[in-house]
Amino acid sequence: MIGTMREAAQNLQNAFVREWKKDGGKTVGYSCTFIPEEIIHAAGLLPFRLRGIGTTSMSIGDSYFGAVNCSLPKCILQLAGQGSYTFLDGAIITNGCDSMRRLEECWRKASEDHRGTLPEYYEYFSVPHKSVDYSVEFYEEELRNMVGTLERHFRCTVSEQSLKKSISLYNKGRTLLQKLDELRFGRDVPISGEDAMAVLIAAHAMPQERFIEMLEGVIEGLGKAPSVSGGKKRLMLMGSASDDMDFIHVIEEAGAIVVADTVCYGSRTYSALVDEESDPLHALSSHYLKHSICPRMLGYYRTRLSYVMDLIRKARVDGVILQNVRFCDLHGSENGIFERDLEAAGIPCMRLEREYGPLTETGRISMRIDAFMERISTHCSSIGETTSDAARTRQQTI
Amino acid sequence: MIAAGCDVGSLTTKAVILNNARLLGHALVRSSFNPEKSASEVMEKALASARLTMDDISLCVGTGYGRERIGFVKKTVSEISCHAKGAHFLQPSIRTIIDIGGQDCKAIRLDAKGEIVKFITNDKCASGTGRFLEVMAKLLGLELGELGRISGQATHPITLASTCTVWAQAEVIMHLNEGMPKADLAAGINEAMAARVAILARSVGIEQDVCMTGGVAKNPGVVEAMEKQLGVPMRRLRLDPQLMGALGAAVFARERLGVS
Repeated sequence: MIGTMREAAQNLQNAFVREWKKDGGKTVGYSCTFIPEEIIHAAGLLPFRLRGIGTTSMSIGDSYFGAVNCSLPKCILQLAGQGSYTFLDGAIITNGCDSMRRLEECWRKASEDHRGTLPEYYEYFSVPHKSVDYSVEFYEEELRNMVGTLERHFRCTVSEQSLKKSISLYNKGRTLLQKLDELRFGRDVPISGEDAMAVLIAAHAMPQERFIEMLEGVIEGLGKAPSVSGGKKRLMLMGSASDDMDFIHVIEEAGAIVVADTVCYGSRTYSALVDEESDPLHALSSHYLKHSICPRMLGYYRTRLSYVMDLIRKARVDGVILQNVRFCDLHGSENGIFERDLEAAGIPCMRLEREYGPLTETGRISMRIDAFMERISTHCSSIGETTSDAARTRQQTI
Repeated sequence: MIAAGCDVGSLTTKAVILNNARLLGHALVRSSFNPEKSASEVMEKALASARLTMDDISLCVGTGYGRERIGFVKKTVSEISCHAKGAHFLQPSIRTIIDIGGQDCKAIRLDAKGEIVKFITNDKCASGTGRFLEVMAKLLGLELGELGRISGQATHPITLASTCTVWAQAEVIMHLNEGMPKADLAAGINEAMAARVAILARSVGIEQDVCMTGGVAKNPGVVEAMEKQLGVPMRRLRLDPQLMGALGAAVFARERLGVS
């Protein structure tokens, strides 16, 4: 079952998407966790989280973006420009961050040179940076507009009832992912961080009904599976967008197991459930705006820190890797503050800046991860065994 | 028991052989494209200098970028831990290490026990690395060692506006064409290097004693410029700072053998 999810996570147009399309289904790509998949689902469409996997060139990405931009939207644009996203019938781009906001303009512009690469339904969606009452209202209005544009373009109706049904379905997915976390947080972990990441990515790359069906099977199987965490240090991955299972593989090869994360594409979307009782658009607006741990939400660092500390405690984390894609201002700066506060609380941290895309920096990354593992393992404490007297003798000897 | 450490770096490969705390032999060779070959070559030289054979070595620990490809090592440790281990072994008062190697630079902070508290490595480019100095020395028609020596004769060191290796080259060429003395250029290059790495060092928090390791630590111009940049003296180690990773690896091997 996990093998199937890995396949879905590793291939853009995976078997589930192909099957959906074969039956005439329409697919809408979206760029960011602030887009409620429930609305796209309620419109009878397949929501598909945009990714930049499998890029081998940046000839298009680099042409439209500046040099000092995050490589994730560049990779997405590269794929779009070379026609890898022509299976999408629509795309919604947000102002998740400045680089992602620019994707909206760059994709539009690139499509003038690379004809036929812009989906027919192509919308910009504005997300507020605060989660106060008036911004929830604004966001709800934006969601209402989104419903309207989807209904008009795809000639469908998004009823209150269908929205409630979709909310309930996605809540079921969230509850199952919370169960998966409980398994990962236990003393004996039955699933590697690499496989868990495959599950988390697959959640946004296939029909939710199929995902839930498979995840139920995965969780049942993991209940009886042997531990894969014996003797390993338990790490948490934090920071910006990361959907690279090879990256987790490099971390785990150093003798660690990734038991939790707060990364975009990872565990950001299911810590709370959407209210199923109140008006669905209001419930979605309130949920998506108030339960995000993305640093784009301004003024909520203390809330995020408390969430992270709670997660570290629950998952029995030994160390934290604070990674960010190069030139990510939001995570790059917040990682520095997290490092200060987590280290002060006695939690070892390592900051890592990297490129999104094919893992070309394996040597440098694994050297740092090895050093971090050495730092947090008892192995390194032997450094402290030398006494000053013994050291003085050695100085004379050498 | 005799322990050894082998550090396969991007530019040079180093080996150190220890018997308890006594340094029996060491060697340094230029890294070839084949890490395994470089390791064998340097180890042969180190063994010859110690008048030993491979059979005399009870354990060898590998480190450096090519550490996973050394046939004769039983254990590998990252170079960050090895530099920390080597420097603390030689000088337990060291709290901050600035290591500038061929293709990267690192700042490491230790606690009183010699445990790593924090480390950071450069991410973005080659300008704070030994490669930067190599490129510049070649441009000035100097041996790498001379770049450090002649900078002491500078009267008006240049200021490099760009920290990028490629752009800095263009600047140096311009000054060369204007007939600027090489000593002033060398001093400016060393200062640019120190300024770049000092940013990294400050981000781990400077605590004294501070030392420099890696090949660039042999350049007195960079060491002095670093002292000026950080406002603290650099503790000179009693062994070639370029051997620090290999020494740390040998100390790890020695501990593994149960020698404390």
